Amino acid sequence: MRNIYLVAAREYAENAKTKGFWIGVFLFPIIIIASIFIQGALERATPTRNFVFLDRSGDFEQHLEDGLQRLHDRDVMKAFGKYVREHSSMGGEAGFSADMLESIPAPDTRELLESIGDGGASLMPAGGIDAALMQIEPFLDDEAPEFEEPRRRFRRVELPGDVPADADLADVARGLKPYLRGKDKFDFEGDSIDLFAAILIPADISEKVQRPGLGAVMSAISGGPPQGIQYWSANLADEELRNEVRNLVNGEVRRREYVTEGMDVDKVQRIEKTRVPFASLNPKKEEGEEAVSLADVIRQWAPVGFVYLLWVAIFTISQMLLNNTIEEKSNRIIEVLLSSVTPNELMLGKLFGIAAVGLTMIGAWIGSGIGVLATRSGPEAEFATQLFAVLRHSGLLPAFVVYFILGYLMYAGIFLAIGGVCNTLKEAQNMMGPVMLILIVPLFTMMFIPKDPNGTLATVMSWIPLYTPFVMMNRAAADPPMFEIVGTFVLLLVSTLLVLWLTGKIFRVGILRTGQAPKLLELVRWVRS
Amino acid sequence: MSETVLELSSVTKRYDDFTAVDDLSVSIPRGSIYGLLGPNGAGKTTTIRMILGIIQPTSGTISVFGEPSALNVRERIGYLPEEKGLYKKMKASAIIAYFASLKGMDRKSAKKRAYELLERYGLKDFADKKTEALSKGMGQKVQVLASIAHDPELVILDEPFSGLDPVNQEVMEEVIRDMAARERTVLFSTHVMQHAERICDRIMLVARGKKAFDGTIAEAKDTLPRRVRIETEDSIEPLRNVPGVVSVLRVDPESPGSHWDIELGESVRAQDILRFCFEHDISLRQFDQSDPTLHDVFVSIVGEDAREASFR
Repeated sequence: MRNIYLVAAREYAENAKTKGFWIGVFLFPIIIIASIFIQGALERATPTRNFVFLDRSGDFEQHLEDGLQRLHDRDVMKAFGKYVREHSSMGGEAGFSADMLESIPAPDTRELLESIGDGGASLMPAGGIDAALMQIEPFLDDEAPEFEEPRRRFRRVELPGDVPADADLADVARGLKPYLRGKDKFDFEGDSIDLFAAILIPADISEKVQRPGLGAVMSAISGGPPQGIQYWSANLADEELRNEVRNLVNGEVRRREYVTEGMDVDKVQRIEKTRVPFASLNPKKEEGEEAVSLADVIRQWAPVGFVYLLWVAIFTISQMLLNNTIEEKSNRIIEVLLSSVTPNELMLGKLFGIAAVGLTMIGAWIGSGIGVLATRSGPEAEFATQLFAVLRHSGLLPAFVVYFILGYLMYAGIFLAIGGVCNTLKEAQNMMGPVMLILIVPLFTMMFIPKDPNGTLATVMSWIPLYTPFVMMNRAAADPPMFEIVGTFVLLLVSTLLVLWLTGKIFRVGILRTGQAPKLLELVRWVRS
Repeated sequence: MSETVLELSSVTKRYDDFTAVDDLSVSIPRGSIYGLLGPNGAGKTTTIRMILGIIQPTSGTISVFGEPSALNVRERIGYLPEEKGLYKKMKASAIIAYFASLKGMDRKSAKKRAYELLERYGLKDFADKKTEALSKGMGQKVQVLASIAHDPELVILDEPFSGLDPVNQEVMEEVIRDMAARERTVLFSTHVMQHAERICDRIMLVARGKKAFDGTIAEAKDTLPRRVRIETEDSIEPLRNVPGVVSVLRVDPESPGSHWDIELGESVRAQDILRFCFEHDISLRQFDQSDPTLHDVFVSIVGEDAREASFR
C-alpha cells in the first residue's frame, strides 16, 4: 500500500510540474474567457461599411434610409442597455431585480430592449438617446464613463467622381468595379474610403416583382442578365447589408401590394404580429411546475459537456501515462523500480497518481469555468447560477465521477499495456491507432444521443464497455431504465477489472522486455504465464 | 565470513529454447565483495535480475537473507542496473530520496540522506539540478547513490564501472570498499578484470550461463599453471630436462624469437630454473616469474566461450 502511494505521489508531483499540465489547466478557462471577449472585440473591430445606393425607380430611397436608421437606433439602444447595466445601480451582479425595476421611472431599459424585436417605429424613446441619458443620470455610478454611441454599421456614400450618376446601370457597375474589388479608394467627406457594396435598383423594378406561380419559377431558373435589385460586393461572407436591403425592399414592395389589392396596411401588419402563447412542458416534473425552464435545458445538455470533459481528460491523461511508462522503460528506470516494488504496485501507483492529475485538471476546468461565468453580469451570471443548481441537485456530478474513474481505469489499462510492450514512442503510436479510432466514436455520437437518449443507438452503445462511460453519461439526464444503469455499470466494472488484470499480466512480462514489440500470440502466452 | 547472505542453488532460466542461466549454484557470505565475471551474454544480468526477484527462475531456488524472494527483504537490498537511466525531469536529490523511500525510508530522512550523499561524493552543486542537466558519468554517480541511499545490507551492482572515467572508477571502488568495511555485502558484475582483481574477495566466472569458476582470487590464479618467461639467445634445450618442468614453448610460435614460456610442475620453483640457467651458462636477458593476472585466468577459462558467444 505504501509503495502504491509513493509511486502515485511521485507521478502526481512530477506530472503536476510539467508544462503540459499547466497549459492544460489554464488553456480551458482562457478559451472560455477569450470566446466571451473575442465576440465583442470582433463586433467592435468591424469597420463601418460604405456603400453606394442608386435607385433609378426612386421608390425605395427614403425607405432604405429609414430602415438603416432604425438598425442603428437598435444598436444604440443595445449599447445603452449594456451601459446602464454596467455603470448604474440599476444593473448588478445578477442583472435587474423585479422591485428595482418598479422603483425606476421610465425609460425602463428592459422594456426598451424588448421593444427592439418589434421592428416598429417606436425604437427610440421620445427625445432620443440624450433624453434617456438624462433620465438615467442620477443612477449612474460616480466613475461611470461617458456613454459612447456605437459606430454606424453602414454608411451611404456618394458615387465616386469618375462614375457618372446618370449613365446606364451596367456602365455604373462597370465603373464601380475597381472600387468594389478594393483596388481603388475614393474621397468622401474628406476621407479616403473603401467601397464595401453597391446597390443598384433599375427604373423598371416594379415590373420585375415576382408573384407566386409558374412565372417566378421560370425566371428563377432561366439565366440571363441580372434582373431586379443588383447587390454588388466582393465580400461574400458578410451578408448583413444584403439581407437588410432585401428585407427592406421586399417589405416595402409587399406594403404596396396590400395597397394595390385594397387592403388596410395597418391591419395587415397588426395581424402579422399576432401569436398564441406556446409553452414547453416537461411531463417528468411536479404538477404546476411543468414549464420547461433554463435549468431543464441545462440539465439536458450539461451531460454533453461532461462527456466532452470525460473524453478530453481520458485522452490527455492516458497519453501522459503512456509517455512516462515508455520513459521508464526506455531508460531502464523500471528495473530499479521493480527491485523495490512489485509490478502490480507500480501499475496501480501509476494509475492512481495520474488519475489524480486528471481529476485536478478537470476540477480546475469546472471550477474556473463556473468561476468565470459567475463573475460575469447579466445572462451569463444567470446561466452560471442555474448551472450550479443543476450540478447540485441532479445526480450528474456523482455519475460523472463514477464514470470518469471507471472509464479512465479501463482506457488507462489499455494504454499502460501498450506502454508495457513498446520500447519507443514510435512503436507505441502504431499500436495506439486502433485505440484512437475506438476512442473517437463517442465524440461523434455525443451530440446525437441527447436527442434520442433511450434510442437503439444509445442503448446498444451503452452495452459496449468501452463506450459505457461516455454514452451513459450522455444519457444521464434522460433517466435511462434502471436495468440498463445497473447492468451496464456491472458490465463496465467487470470489464474494467478484467482489463486491469490483463494489463497487470502483460505489464509484468512486457516492461522488462527489450527489442521488438511482441506478436499477438506472444501476448496471449504472457497472459497465460 | 560466516553467515550466508545470498544462496543460489541449481538456478536455471530458460527462454524458449535458449538457456540463459544453467544450473548455477553459489553462496555469498556476509561482508564479502563478490565479483560476478563473465563475457558478454554470459547470463550475468539475468542472474542478477533473478536474485532481485524481477524475473523468476525456471527452476532452482534463490534465498536472500533466508527469504525465498528478494522482494520480501527489498529494503535490505540496493540495486544498480546495467543500463543506467534516471527520470530526466527530476532533481538529483529528489530521485535519490524517491528510491530510498521506496526502500522503506521515511520521506523526510530520505531527503536528508540524499543531500548528505551528494555532498560526500562531490555532487553538492547538482543536488537541485534536473538530471537531464547532468553528464552521463554524474548521472551514473547519482544512480549509484540512489541504490545505496537506504544503507542496504546487500548491494547488487550490475556493471558499475562502465561509462565512468578512471577517476570516478576509483571513486566507485572506494564506495564498494566503504560498504564492505561496514559489513555490507557487495555483489557486482563486470567484464573488466582489473577492478575485480583489486577489490574482490571472491569471484564467480560464468560462461554461457554455466558457472566456470567460483572462489577467491588466489584460487582463481592457481587454476593456471605457474610459468616463468625468459628471454635468451642460447639454446633452451637443457631446460626441458629439468625435473618438474612440464613444457618449454616459444611465446610466439609463428615467428622464431627468443622469448620462451616455461610451464612449471608442482615440484619445481622459479628460482630452481634461475639457478639452473646460471649453472648451465644460459645467459638471460629477461627472467619474469610474475603471477598470472585475473585477465589471464579469464581468457584461459572463458576465452573460447566468449569468442564463440560473440559470433553466435
